Amino acid sequence: MRGLAVPDSAAPPDDALPLAGVRVLDISSFIAAPAAATVLGDWGADVIKIEGPDGDPNRQMVQGSVSYPKSPINYAWHLDSRNKRSVVLDLKQPTARAALDRLIAISDVLICNFPPIVRERLRLRYEDVKAVNPRLVYASLTGYGESGPDRDRPGFDATAYFARSGLFDAQRYEGGPPGTAVPAQGDRATAMGLVSAILMGLMRRDKTGDGSWVGTSLLANGIWSCGVVAQAALVGAFLPPRPPRERPRSALGNLYRTRDDRWIQLVIVREDKLWPGLCRAIGQPDLERDPRFVTVEARRARAAELAAIFADAFVAHDYAYWRDTLAAADVTFGVISRVQDLPDDEQAVHAGAIVSADNPEMARTIGNPIRLDFAQPRLAGPGPALGQHTDVVLREAGLSDEEIVALQPSSRA
Amino acid sequence: MTDDAALDDELPLAGLTVLDVSSFIAAPAAAVVLADFGADVIKVEPPGAGDPHRTSWQNPNYPRTDVNFVWQLDGRHKRSVALDLKHAAGRAAFDRLLARADVMIVNFPLPVRERLRLRWEDVAAVNPSLIYASLTGYGESGPDRDMPGFDVNAYFGRAGILDAQRYEDGPPGFSLPAQGDRCAAMTIVSAILLGLRRRDRTGKGGWVGTSLYANGVWSNGTLAQAALVGGFITPRPPRNRPRNALANIYRTRDDRWVQLTLVREDKGWQRLCRALERADLRADPRFATQAARRANSAALTTILDAAFAVHDWLHWRQVLRAHEVTFGVIERLQDLPGDPQAQHAGIIAETNSPDVPRTINNPVRLGFARPRMAGPPPSVGQHTDQVLREAGLSDAEIVALRSSGAAD
Repeated sequence: MRGLAVPDSAAPPDDALPLAGVRVLDISSFIAAPAAATVLGDWGADVIKIEGPDGDPNRQMVQGSVSYPKSPINYAWHLDSRNKRSVVLDLKQPTARAALDRLIAISDVLICNFPPIVRERLRLRYEDVKAVNPRLVYASLTGYGESGPDRDRPGFDATAYFARSGLFDAQRYEGGPPGTAVPAQGDRATAMGLVSAILMGLMRRDKTGDGSWVGTSLLANGIWSCGVVAQAALVGAFLPPRPPRERPRSALGNLYRTRDDRWIQLVIVREDKLWPGLCRAIGQPDLERDPRFVTVEARRARAAELAAIFADAFVAHDYAYWRDTLAAADVTFGVISRVQDLPDDEQAVHAGAIVSADNPEMARTIGNPIRLDFAQPRLAGPGPALGQHTDVVLREAGLSDEEIVALQPSSRA
Repeated sequence: MTDDAALDDELPLAGLTVLDVSSFIAAPAAAVVLADFGADVIKVEPPGAGDPHRTSWQNPNYPRTDVNFVWQLDGRHKRSVALDLKHAAGRAAFDRLLARADVMIVNFPLPVRERLRLRWEDVAAVNPSLIYASLTGYGESGPDRDMPGFDVNAYFGRAGILDAQRYEDGPPGFSLPAQGDRCAAMTIVSAILLGLRRRDRTGKGGWVGTSLYANGVWSNGTLAQAALVGGFITPRPPRNRPRNALANIYRTRDDRWVQLTLVREDKGWQRLCRALERADLRADPRFATQAARRANSAALTTILDAAFAVHDWLHWRQVLRAHEVTFGVIERLQDLPGDPQAQHAGIIAETNSPDVPRTINNPVRLGFARPRMAGPPPSVGQHTDQVLREAGLSDAEIVALRSSGAAD
């Protein structure tokens, strides 16, 4: 991204978009909160991203994080910053902080994920911002909530959404380590919770004229997502760790490895109907009437034995063979796709999950999951260079050229 | 933002009428969120057994207990009307409800909607200012549009999440019941709110929606976007040979797990060494730089494994915090009911439901409103009479509906 000239992608707002005319000040960083701003931008909001002189650390993740696939293209930055305008302000400098107030005064939404102690220091708590613009919707993201013993802990989705919620622990196999998550998995889910909160704030403002505080936390979203088991915990009920594949609860709802190291997840809900077809599909029609396995109860009681029979059967053929054979026998199974399969998945395009982008480096991107019949999401442009729009945005806020020059950050990229 | 922020007298969605004809979890959970914030949610379900989700609590993949805890979570605040939508009179009664509704939430497979005339075009004819919210497994068109979707397949499997959660040579990860459903629910809520915003400005209703698959891909967005530019990552190496020993999990003496996540590594490494009281590690050239630590991650992991195994997790929690080392403890659900932070974060709410006195709040927090307190969830058809009367049906019409089996 350094030194690459990118076309200015600040197109005028589209009137047909539901958030046309809404100005969002995104002073957040990393992924969860910025992704909420991305969604608002997709649907027409003018998103102004305020970054410090070193920029949002998310700019460095492709290069710096071992869990990110490597690429010469800063795909993560483009994904999370499409259609945003970047303004550099060193908020520790009084003149820059004053310039931010000028932007706050003309904005509709502010998205903030600074830790509380930083908000206090920078005077960016809700009460500070409300004093400048009482009509603003102040959207707060925290790791663990706005109060309580952990309110000051920085939150990442691996820790706050997955670990602290009990999710990782509940994803253990017996005797095994906790579950894992893909990069930003919880962040992007949390972003949709924050979008909902912001839209409720805007709705209330339409009715009353007043701004408000709205928010959410990674922890709240993590526990919401494991709501079934969390609700069970509240009545004292728990799931034992999942038994290993060799000793499943049901051989008909288990994972099997194929010859080419792919995985088939059998998901058989109506067992009696599908048992005969399954036996035929694995080339063992006699199994259907085998007295060991003839009823649901018998199959459960001998799940390990049956799982071993299936395991041997599945490993004899490749995934493509099983996909076709099981489908022909009307046997439901879950596809364990590899992310390699996504770019060619036609259904992903139909679902709106993969969309074209107006970005010379990156022709396609990941759509936000909202679909509307009355609007198409804005075409995604490239993520902005650091401070690419500082001048034009500050001018829009009414600063004079002299004031803008006086704001030169102490270190320019 | 404090707890004594002024609350509006009225909940933000008071006055909104939502017709929820959906079943299972993802779409009904969106209706719960709307109900939490004041919407009148009318759940239309088949007479007799009602929504099949009413028996999910007996599913072998669910924790075992003798109260229908799931129904409390997914049925709260709703009024239940039992109508047979395949029956002409039942469908006519439904149209009366449709005419007065603001939002309808539907997740029938598309062929079923065609058969029942419950597509957006059918419904718009009755009420053109309705917001029609559609959830599908995989999207409204395409080769898989008719495939029923469970989140384990549509959200987690198909989007590549389970595969990407593998350790080398290990099986894919697995998801918890409805884990993806409730994420998709927040998207449905957002979509509905966008539809309502547009309606406020134009008077027009419209179709809004999402799919489990689109939500899964969004959630897996980082890796999915990388895939689109040809960037891939090899399966996660096993825990004892990680790529980065400072972003790995370690077992404590009492079989709990500490998850180190040192993002700003150089600072974090210093602090970790102090927390472990291992000045020798800081001086060790094998671990002196980020590059060195990566190259020697197996050796470092062995050392850290041994170090963490010496104490219980309570010790580590205290010590790591005191030294400002970023970490997560792998909590267990057993600890959730007593977790003060969950209380502060507004996650757990009291109910007026004697069987299930506490429940899980949706994740939206508003400075001007608190979610409604939930009573017991409805039995099948508990509010049929009340709701149909509100819709203008006479007692005679309601009796006729019942005797023909079109309603209950």
